[in-house]
Amino acid sequence: MIDIWQVLVNSLVTASIYLLAGIGLTLTIALSRFANFSYAELITLGAYCGLFFLATKDGNIFLAIILAFFVVGLVSVVSYSAVFKPLEERKTSLIHLMVASIALGFVLRYSIGEIWGWSVLFYQTVWTVHTIGSVRITSLWIMMILTAFIVALCLHYFLTRTKMGKAIRAIACNPALASITGINKQKVIFLVWFCGAGLAAVAGVFRAADTRLSPMMGWELILPIFATVILGGIGNFYGLIVAALIIGLVENFGVAMLLKLGLSTEYRMALVFLILIAVLIIRPKGLAR
Amino acid sequence: MDFTVYLMDTLVFMAIFAILSMSLNVEYGYTGLGNFGKVAFFLCGAYTYAIALLLGVPFYVSFVLSAVTSAILGGLMSLPALRLREDYLAIVTLAIGEVLRIFVKAEEWLTGGVWGITVPSVFANLGLSVDAVAFANVLLSWGVLIAVFLFLRYLTNTPYGRVLLSIREDDTAVQALGKNPILYKAQAFMIGSAIAGIAGALFAQYMRFIDPYMFLPMVTFTVWMMLILGGTANHYGAVVGALIVEIFNRGSRIAKDYLDLPFDPHNIQFILFGVLIILLLLYRPYGLFREKPLKTGVEAEVIKWQSSSSTK
Repeated sequence: MIDIWQVLVNSLVTASIYLLAGIGLTLTIALSRFANFSYAELITLGAYCGLFFLATKDGNIFLAIILAFFVVGLVSVVSYSAVFKPLEERKTSLIHLMVASIALGFVLRYSIGEIWGWSVLFYQTVWTVHTIGSVRITSLWIMMILTAFIVALCLHYFLTRTKMGKAIRAIACNPALASITGINKQKVIFLVWFCGAGLAAVAGVFRAADTRLSPMMGWELILPIFATVILGGIGNFYGLIVAALIIGLVENFGVAMLLKLGLSTEYRMALVFLILIAVLIIRPKGLAR
Repeated sequence: MDFTVYLMDTLVFMAIFAILSMSLNVEYGYTGLGNFGKVAFFLCGAYTYAIALLLGVPFYVSFVLSAVTSAILGGLMSLPALRLREDYLAIVTLAIGEVLRIFVKAEEWLTGGVWGITVPSVFANLGLSVDAVAFANVLLSWGVLIAVFLFLRYLTNTPYGRVLLSIREDDTAVQALGKNPILYKAQAFMIGSAIAGIAGALFAQYMRFIDPYMFLPMVTFTVWMMLILGGTANHYGAVVGALIVEIFNRGSRIAKDYLDLPFDPHNIQFILFGVLIILLLLYRPYGLFREKPLKTGVEAEVIKWQSSSSTK
């Protein structure tokens, strides 16, 4: 029998990962207008940084998350200024930018593979399990959901009330007009690449704490995250929140349905991809407007 | 492994990947469609060939069948996908490739699931030695490669090929001249898919065993690497790119097996490839071979006419 409440909690957990990882992706696509596939490896890198800092900092997960945020943010900014900015200045086509991002992803993924090896690893931290009624929930899950919630609130405040947040929205909406009004585009882009990748790293640490680490883990997440971003509408933060919840629900209820129908749970991801394809065909703008 | 067999194995893989690279060249190099789901058609061709052969269909019919099913898949996929912007097209094709792989993995009754399918070899009951079978495979794959090469060289030099090129440059202009770009794009997609399907059939026939793990998105990216390295919209470029990447692949595998290195050459190879692709895109985006200007035959006429009029 499907326990509705358990599935709802699982959906919230999945949704918080997609939300955290999707924020950076949706904002960078909105600003730079190309799909950055190397985001997958930034998530992976975040998870492995978490592993490294957990081992050196006596297993304090908060410290590990913050350090992973800064390291990955830095890697992202460096990759932008070393690879994508020069390519954009050369007026490279969209497809070439995507190929470059995949190539950069290779560099990161195989570097991770070289440093930490290709076998599956785990965090050593043990999470306490709480049982509320029939629902099983770990302290990690509570932390994930809370973090996603707080980040969403902060971002809402940031995007609507601060000058920087308004600048981000202005550039996403009309880059030329934004430059004319005196917004420093480079500064805004650097900030978004830094913080977006940092949040992706946080998602990576959470994912690794919840399941396992492997150099392919980011790649396994990137398509559902693209699905979330596109369903929410590129650059649309509120759409992203709703889309993360929808994709989380579809994935987890999908698994329950597949089990009930006697189909392979392999189709879990196929369901998400079918939503992605359907959205792109029926309503490429996503939930926006 | 025996050296000659190893060499022939390399040659077969080179041919298969060169065919894939040329098929991507039709789609991306000539028509400007960023297909990031190449592996889906490779998979479709391989599984069609394997299943058809197991059902008792003769192997040459199975080859044709795998091209046909891949072309149909390409056609179906292009119906919705080609109306999208190019970055969305990339994500959709990538996702469709994954959906197809998940399908193959899940539907055990048809495809053997994760346990794969064992494919009977065409050359099995001819009583040939191991070397002779390997040589026959080399002949078969290089024969197909040359046929595909000649066909595509012919195709891209016809007026039809020039329509494809003009769609890449400006599809509104093509529309203004009364051609339907969507129709041409779909056809280019189907041609590319059919050729990738043939490559898949060759792969299945050579490997004699296929499973879903052979068709990871990595295959697609390898083909892209080959094409970007060799040069887009140039058939020689597509082939040479495939040969170079395959040589590097083999080199790193040999280095891994026979040299005692402090690092894994396989990892280093992909890191180097990544760096190489980024450098290429920065400093030589057209690859090793540049696109050739169109040969229409009209130019020669014009020159003849000009020289004859100037002597008068």
